[in-house]
Amino acid sequence: MKEFIVHFPVLAVMVLFLGAFLAEIFGFRSRIARRVILLSCVSVSAAMIFALIPAVFLRGEVLTYWMGAWEPAAGYAIGIGYEIDALGLFFALLVVTTFCLSAVYSLRYMERDRHLGHYTTLFLMLCGSVLGLVLTGDIFNLFVMVEIMTFAAVALTAFRGSSHGALEAAFKYLVIGSIGSGMTLSGIALLYLQCHTLNMAQLSAVLSGGLTPASVFALGLMTAGFGVKAFLVPFHTPAADAYTAAPSSVSMVFSGMVNKAGVYGLIRLVYTVFRAMDRESLQITLIVLGTVTMFAGVTMALAQHDFKRLLAFHSISQIGYVITAVSLGTVLGVSGGLFHAMNHTLFKGLLFLCAGAVYYAAGTTDLDRLGGLSKKMPHTTAFFLIGAFSIAGLPPFNGFASKWFIYQAAWSRAVSTGNFFYTVVTVTAVIVSVMTLASFIKVTQAVFFGQLPAQLSQVREVPLTMRIPMAVLSLGCLAGGLFYPFVSETLLAPAAKAVFTPSVYIDAMMGAGTAQAAGVTDAAAAALAVPGTWDPVLWLILLVIVLLAFFLVILTGEKTRGAVLDDGGQEDDGRYATFFGGERALPSHVSGSDLFWGFRKNWDGYFRIAQGLHSGRVNDYASYAVIGAVVLIIVIFLIFGFR
Amino acid sequence: MELILKALGTLFSVLIYPGFLFVSAVGLLLAGFDRKVLARMQKRVGPPLLQPAYDFFKLLGKETLVPSRANKAVFLAAPVIGTASLAVMMLFLPIFGRAPLSLRADLIVILYLLTIPAVALILGGSASGSPFAGIGISREMVVMMAYELPLILVFLAVARKTGGSELCFSLERIVAWQAEHGPLLFHWAMIPAALAMLFVIPAEVGTQPFDAAEAETEICEGPLIEYSGAPLGLFKLNTAIKMFLMTALFCTLFLGGSGVTVTLGPIWLGAALSALLNTLILLALCLAVTLLCMTLVHAVTARLKIEHLFRFYWTVVAGLALISLILVWLGL
Repeated sequence: MKEFIVHFPVLAVMVLFLGAFLAEIFGFRSRIARRVILLSCVSVSAAMIFALIPAVFLRGEVLTYWMGAWEPAAGYAIGIGYEIDALGLFFALLVVTTFCLSAVYSLRYMERDRHLGHYTTLFLMLCGSVLGLVLTGDIFNLFVMVEIMTFAAVALTAFRGSSHGALEAAFKYLVIGSIGSGMTLSGIALLYLQCHTLNMAQLSAVLSGGLTPASVFALGLMTAGFGVKAFLVPFHTPAADAYTAAPSSVSMVFSGMVNKAGVYGLIRLVYTVFRAMDRESLQITLIVLGTVTMFAGVTMALAQHDFKRLLAFHSISQIGYVITAVSLGTVLGVSGGLFHAMNHTLFKGLLFLCAGAVYYAAGTTDLDRLGGLSKKMPHTTAFFLIGAFSIAGLPPFNGFASKWFIYQAAWSRAVSTGNFFYTVVTVTAVIVSVMTLASFIKVTQAVFFGQLPAQLSQVREVPLTMRIPMAVLSLGCLAGGLFYPFVSETLLAPAAKAVFTPSVYIDAMMGAGTAQAAGVTDAAAAALAVPGTWDPVLWLILLVIVLLAFFLVILTGEKTRGAVLDDGGQEDDGRYATFFGGERALPSHVSGSDLFWGFRKNWDGYFRIAQGLHSGRVNDYASYAVIGAVVLIIVIFLIFGFR
Repeated sequence: MELILKALGTLFSVLIYPGFLFVSAVGLLLAGFDRKVLARMQKRVGPPLLQPAYDFFKLLGKETLVPSRANKAVFLAAPVIGTASLAVMMLFLPIFGRAPLSLRADLIVILYLLTIPAVALILGGSASGSPFAGIGISREMVVMMAYELPLILVFLAVARKTGGSELCFSLERIVAWQAEHGPLLFHWAMIPAALAMLFVIPAEVGTQPFDAAEAETEICEGPLIEYSGAPLGLFKLNTAIKMFLMTALFCTLFLGGSGVTVTLGPIWLGAALSALLNTLILLALCLAVTLLCMTLVHAVTARLKIEHLFRFYWTVVAGLALISLILVWLGL
């Protein structure tokens, strides 16, 4: 068994790419072949990744794999190596969870589309590329995976090319994504020029000798490049269109793993390769990026009229939380950020699947044309509420636990450094959280409650294979919140430790002693300790006790309770003439975009500017991306003191 | 045997003192007090002190109607969940340093637990399918956004003052700090924050002039419009409990301390007596705070429009809290 496990990391990626080819050859005619290929590939790949958990998380090993056994000779890594430490495997787990559930969901969700062979191919390419990206130890291999990921994502965005805006969205994604890829590639080229190696572990060792202006330029370019992939403001512009236009099973993959790939790249870059996070000014730069991202994302979400577009802006906003937290540079902050990344995968995946279910059942995701679906789709409503509570951070769901980590990390930085900036970050994070709640209340009211439009009276609950992935994700949301101590011990602590111990990463790849010879020493990082006290299980038990007491009272009470007042659709009934003055009831569903008027009015100026900036023109978006990258590079140059 | 005793103790804490029965009784009493004093201020006789309690029991006996447009499960579950979460919340507030059940919570958890009853009200209103409720819930949400900013600023000011350069969100530590250095209200840098908190309380509870969400005269109690019978009674009870919880939170944050300790007779008698005395002191303080921030303000003001309410909280109230935070940050 042991000798097989060695090959699992690379096989897990290869199986997916192999499946992509098979699906193209055998899948274009036969539905059964397509499904067999899709499900077997994703499940085999996921099983292989899960089989790595004992070694990496429990025994704390770092697994390495050299393609074709091209191991480093004379201290130089020539071949392509895979290196799986706890951080990489953490993200790999998110990736496999996402694509397995998305694959199951897409079986029925995509049944009305044509060219499903191509869908399967592209989907598997996307999965394979992201999985390869988080497992590889070679920076050029990482770039190749980024490219496959971007182009598969662009093609999937355009998959429903006949629907409104899909091609436009794909074009925007292509343009902005290429800007990001170009910057990443230039950065890698500069690094190769400077260090004569592409292996990340060796790069890290070589760069410890000091940064030249060219390698600082490379850091700036690659930070901007991964910022594009993670959709940070101002590179976030294609995300909204792409998430909206893509089929929901793909939107889930986008927010569950494609933008996580950018986050992973960023963490790997600044913590492992450049080890630059000991400079507080770089931390602050990234925190500013993250905080602006979370604020801009949530305010734009409040202004949306479309279910999926709203979710897209929330994805941007939640990634802002992740980036803010990991940039805090403390163990608690990094763990909180990783925890939030994981939770975002769970609850945002769930919410996108709910949006897909609504689209499947009702044929639209326009908030102004939906309403009252809770009676027709009770299960979807329940799943949606769990997802909404999680993302809004209501206890005891998982979003609360990770946000709680993040607030504590930000605030402890604030008080320990005495820097008021971190207080602003903490307050912004709390306010963004309540705004998130507001916009999900809006969706709840506009889609699931309120009044059912007449044309939706035939809507039915979605099939079982679409509900199962939603149920799994809901359980994940609840479990992650209730058992957060377990999660933080088994998953977060090793992953955060991997972030703070680049020497282990170097030694595992290049042989013991390399890090020491290169002068790489790990700062003594404290063990993960959560300072606060919050026992969600006990809280839930107490809540259930009170609820049971209530139900006892209700059960022993009179049985005539809960009569249904029938006033629906019977305007002619004379009984109610008194109340309506004989008039027909007014059309009275308060549609989503009209909610929170009292809030919008005070922010009129802001919304006018923000909506003006999101003009929808790809020229504008490309110039934001370029200007943003230039500013970021200049700032990074200033930080490292080259003038 | 020990386990059974512990379970019984837990049950007692959750259901009777300081859990559900205690907070309900005190909350209803506070609500009655508020109404009575308000009436006297307006030169009316006013209802008897126990009127809210009578109303609650009366509503329990009434028929519960569910509109045909409503989602029945959510419509009926929302008030129950809201009340239960409020009852459990009281267990997290230390009564002068003594948290029952040794349950500890920090300020952030309290901040988020406080949103659960508000979300329950919003979901209940939303599930009723009434357009009035639609307007009501949107306003309720805006009110929530309005007071959340000053509230977190107040919490951070308190945390900075009591924790110094350490992370200090724990309520127990805040109370312990006050036992040593005197109540926070008597530190002049914290006075603006205390004022801001006094403004947050009526918005959280939803009393005039910050009751745009329920505005009886415009939108017929908004989220509550379709409610009748026991669920309506529970929502009324929620408001009453919130009154007590928020004022008790104020007392914990700004008027905390070690309380009194009675050493009389056997240990259990002394403990019981000191618990009783401390509770009574807390009640008196809560009454005073209620009078100050809810009854008085209610008597002299008219309802604010929702957009003015939002602006008021994000400028004046948040400004007050921010002044405190900055003063504390400067080490004052």
